[in-house]
Amino acid sequence: MGNLDVALKNAMSIDGAIGAALVDYTSGMTLGVAGGTGEIDLTVAAAGNTDVVRAKLRTIEMLKLDDEIEDILITLGSQYHLIRPLSNRTGKGLFLYLMVSKSRANLAMARHQLRAIEESLEL
Amino acid sequence: MSRVDDLPRRTPAAAGTLPPARRLPPSLAGNPTLPYPAIGRELSALRLQIPGVHGCVLGGVDGLLITHNLQNEANPDDLAALAATMFGLGRQVGFRLGQGDFQQSTVRNENGYLSVYAVSRQALLAVVGTDSINVARLHLHAPDTAARLADLLDGVTPATP
Repeated sequence: MGNLDVALKNAMSIDGAIGAALVDYTSGMTLGVAGGTGEIDLTVAAAGNTDVVRAKLRTIEMLKLDDEIEDILITLGSQYHLIRPLSNRTGKGLFLYLMVSKSRANLAMARHQLRAIEESLEL
Repeated sequence: MSRVDDLPRRTPAAAGTLPPARRLPPSLAGNPTLPYPAIGRELSALRLQIPGVHGCVLGGVDGLLITHNLQNEANPDDLAALAATMFGLGRQVGFRLGQGDFQQSTVRNENGYLSVYAVSRQALLAVVGTDSINVARLHLHAPDTAARLADLLDGVTPATP
């Protein structure tokens, strides 16, 4: 799991990062978390966002789009939440979750860096 | 963890000595003074909160059914007994490893889940769910439900045996 810890550490080094997690959306359980604050429990965030990912996957299926999610952006008042399902074979059923501060982060850069982290993550 | 000593041990008894009769608290099952409507509301709330939950069974650690809200063909009496079996295994593991009281045990099968949560010293909450259930969410919500159920069961006058 060295690779996972490195990936989460890299995710936390993205400018403005608040928390990061690797989540199994078949169960909602986290495989690893980094960061987070006293008020933000990343395991709660993971369980909740599992439903977000599942809803979107179901919608794509219902629309018969035969496509997959590259990433999901959720914009809050003060934060961006990025969800990035893993696309490689070993990461099937998992997604990376990143919370960044809106005022401190560069969204395009954060998204680019998260893609690089996802591509380098081999479980 | 002195209750370890209360458990039957696999040691040969000295000839002619019988162990003292075990004194168990009266079963919660069939106790008419339990607040059944409030318990029912807690069980329904859990089922509504988490999509994929087929139903919940509140059972005693003695394996007897207290109440349930199952919506499928599963037999609630069987599930109450199974929950007590899972509790027994979990309790033994806790004792042998010195990990304290039983909290939760989950079985995942090809097409579904059965999770058992400790409610109190006397009661267990079993939750049946489909394979697609968000187990992490169940594990977040069910302990709170169990705590509220414990409050509801607490202070109930024991049924006369």
